[in-house]
Amino acid sequence: MSRVMRFIRVLSPKAPGLFLPVAALLVFSTFLFAPVPVHAGDKELRVAFIPLENPEKLISDVKPAMNFLEKEMGRKVRYFITLNYSAAVEAMISEKADVSFMSPLPYVLANKYSGVEAVLGEIYDGKSYYYSRIFVRKGSGIKRLSDLKGKTIAYVDPISSSGFMYPHDIFVRAGLVDGGLEKPEGRFFRRVYFAGGDQQAINSMVGGFVDAAGVSQYALNLLRPEQRDQVVAIAQSARIPSHNVVVRKGLASEIRQKFIAAMMKMNRPRNRGLLRALYGTDGYVRVDHSRYKSVADMARKYGFLKE
Amino acid sequence: MKCGLKTPGARLALRVKHSLTISAWLLAAGLLVMSFRPASAHIVPPEELHPVAESYRRVSFILNLNPVLWPQVWSDMERIQKALGAVDLPGAKKYSAELATAKRVAQPVGRGDEEPDMVVARKNGSRLAFSLVTRGVTSLLISRLDGIKADSNREEVKSRLNEARRVFQAFAETLPHLDPEAWKRMQIHWLEASSHLGAAGVMGVGARPMDLGKIRENTAFIRRYFHANFSGFRAGKEHRFLPRPVASETYVETAKVPWRLPPGSDINKQLPRPRQILGMAERGASEAETFLIALGDMAFDSAEIFGEPARSLGVSCNTCHNKGVTNPKLFIPGLSREKGGMDVSNSFFAGHANNGLHDPLDTPDLRGIRFTAPYGRNGRFASLREFVRNVIVNEFNGPEPDPMIMDGMIAYMNEFEFLPNPKLKKSGKLNPGKVSEAALRGEKIFNRKFPLMMGGMSCASCHIPSANFVDHKRHNIGSTGEGNQPFHVGGLDTPTLLSSKFTAPYFHDGSLPTLRAVSEWFNRQFNLGLNREDIVGLTSYLEAVGDGVQGIEDTVYTLESELEEFKFFLSTYERLKQRKKKELITILLKTVVREVQAHKWDVQDKGNLPILNEMEKKLNEALRAHLAGDVKMTDGKIAAYHALYQENQDKLK
Repeated sequence: MSRVMRFIRVLSPKAPGLFLPVAALLVFSTFLFAPVPVHAGDKELRVAFIPLENPEKLISDVKPAMNFLEKEMGRKVRYFITLNYSAAVEAMISEKADVSFMSPLPYVLANKYSGVEAVLGEIYDGKSYYYSRIFVRKGSGIKRLSDLKGKTIAYVDPISSSGFMYPHDIFVRAGLVDGGLEKPEGRFFRRVYFAGGDQQAINSMVGGFVDAAGVSQYALNLLRPEQRDQVVAIAQSARIPSHNVVVRKGLASEIRQKFIAAMMKMNRPRNRGLLRALYGTDGYVRVDHSRYKSVADMARKYGFLKE
Repeated sequence: MKCGLKTPGARLALRVKHSLTISAWLLAAGLLVMSFRPASAHIVPPEELHPVAESYRRVSFILNLNPVLWPQVWSDMERIQKALGAVDLPGAKKYSAELATAKRVAQPVGRGDEEPDMVVARKNGSRLAFSLVTRGVTSLLISRLDGIKADSNREEVKSRLNEARRVFQAFAETLPHLDPEAWKRMQIHWLEASSHLGAAGVMGVGARPMDLGKIRENTAFIRRYFHANFSGFRAGKEHRFLPRPVASETYVETAKVPWRLPPGSDINKQLPRPRQILGMAERGASEAETFLIALGDMAFDSAEIFGEPARSLGVSCNTCHNKGVTNPKLFIPGLSREKGGMDVSNSFFAGHANNGLHDPLDTPDLRGIRFTAPYGRNGRFASLREFVRNVIVNEFNGPEPDPMIMDGMIAYMNEFEFLPNPKLKKSGKLNPGKVSEAALRGEKIFNRKFPLMMGGMSCASCHIPSANFVDHKRHNIGSTGEGNQPFHVGGLDTPTLLSSKFTAPYFHDGSLPTLRAVSEWFNRQFNLGLNREDIVGLTSYLEAVGDGVQGIEDTVYTLESELEEFKFFLSTYERLKQRKKKELITILLKTVVREVQAHKWDVQDKGNLPILNEMEKKLNEALRAHLAGDVKMTDGKIAAYHALYQENQDKLK
């Protein structure tokens, strides 16, 4: 266990209030949990996780899945949590990580700038895609997108796909705002907010602090059941390919194939329990980079990609 | 219809697929506020709170109880002190000194013959503690905002802003009611501040500049508000402690703040559910014979028969006795000691019947309840009817129940069967071909008289195998401690051992986690002289007696069986109408509406949610028509609900 990991493990249960400042101080570190030697060699597979959940819980939850992977591949598996997507990409560029988990927009950027390649797509409710939606309060009188003229909307973050790029695109395609992301209000919205997360965005709408929220379809599930009944989706984005599993450029073909085969075995009914820890996916489907062409096109449309 | 064995299907996953966020800080912070775990959708996941906000809300709840569970209060207040110490050392020292004072006031030590007045101590101690904890959280919030300096970089600003915003959530259950105008203004300031953070982009792509001036401008209002209202906060001599923002011009002095359960509470039903067996299913009763059972089933699932605050919180008999068995996860800080139990004579749910003691009871299994009189852990009620009425009126503050509701609940509870157990003969003796050698050895020990146990009794003296393992008496076996529990003087009712393998923990207070621990406790308590092998045997025997065929349902998908149950509830409508039981129809419709609202989210194919929404709409319209006295319309809407259900039943899984 690394010093960093021990530090977090000691602090978190006893003084959870200190966790966040500590985590923030570690922002510029490459890894939150970094047990990986710089030159681990080809004898092991190194998996970088993105901390969308409690890192301590994630690191213990994924252990059975990683053990499964190790057994199936006949290869030592080391796993760790990075601080963010950039750190994961950097780890793969420097060959400190072989595989990682990504969402669509960071993936197309990472592919462009580091050559990482999507090999598996996640499945949710039997589908390998999801949507962003525009939610409003029932009874607000807002029935259609044009009713939001002169009103306010909360997105998630300026570089979020389902929490900004895709819902913004809904309004662009409806001809209500122009394509610029720099001033997303256009001449349509009174104010566009970036709430910082799906939960903050949809709660701001439910609480009546903004008129609409542009978030992932699954943000609805962050509300209590009675709150879900208070909101309605008035528009849906283009289809967003699901989050994915990527491998680094130059990973030996044999290792890559064994990894994909082992991950696909998790789809078997008896292995479904292993999937729950892997970002709650229902399973995996084989994908290649072409699956994310629509994301890259949209990233290009809004200036994230230049060519 | 209640067997629950026929609810197959794939699970519903609750998740949010979070989009890209490049900022390291945002992800580090976001992981603490978002939960993506799969679950059944009617199960409400706990709100993810900053530890300080969590402690503040819990302390605020517990300080309003009588008695106050001081160890939990001090633990939470010390947690806040530690968080404060990390950012404001002088503030933390002052807080620490005042905390010591609050402890002395709340839990005074008697001097000589002079006994302290504990009522005054509780009131004064609570007031001091609530005042201090409100000032402490305010201090932490302000110090995080003050940490945003003119030369702070983006990561520092994000970190402090986000932590302040999460600490601010400590007041999210009270300030929106006490000062809605200011609350809304502050929320918009948070959104503005967050929006001016800009973005670092992904590997530099998509970067936006931060506007620190705007961020500080927006947080200044929040800082001023908290400083003016809570930096010197002193709670008044009021009935309920609330963070009243008396310095605010928009403070609503007359506001009614609804009760919410504190962080750490879990009143969700467990999944998979316990398997319930009703006698009516075994004997093939027709609907004509089941009116009372259906009415009782509905009332058992209904928060409407209780009073406030249980009604608003959605607490019903089924909350604790899920499917007539137990809910082993149930926990409410300040009222529970162990999971699966709660103090039912408390000041929160029914202050008029509070006994002033923190005496949580393990929730008993109700299987076979018609065989296990008397009722109540201390056997204080001879009849089930008396007991149930007391639960409704005196434990959960309900109005006097209609006699028909009482008849129904008793009829329903009388249907609760023990799990079938092939390991036992009808005589209650073990079936030798079905159990281990160890269990057979244990049976002999169970029936052996021990000279040092209650004057030469055996285990079987009280848990009579041929009488469902009860003797209908109360015994004082010494499990209630030394004389500090007047409620239990006179002993406790002998519980049955049937189906007990599925109802851990054990004893009236849930203090023993396993049946082995029970065996060991008796061995110690009465010097039975059992060796390790004997303990293994006795435990094996208890496990065999307490066993049953499939104690837990084999699925977590419950929508199909729930909808069948709602149909069963609604089968009472015509007879209630004939008997002119308008109030009971109101309870029926409110209950089914609430249940459909909760369970519709469990539908596995979300494409079918609109059908359930429409069914819910029909029921709501039926309720409105009923309240308006329009019988024809009510009939029509209920019929429309049934038609929709009938037509789409195959899709609603």
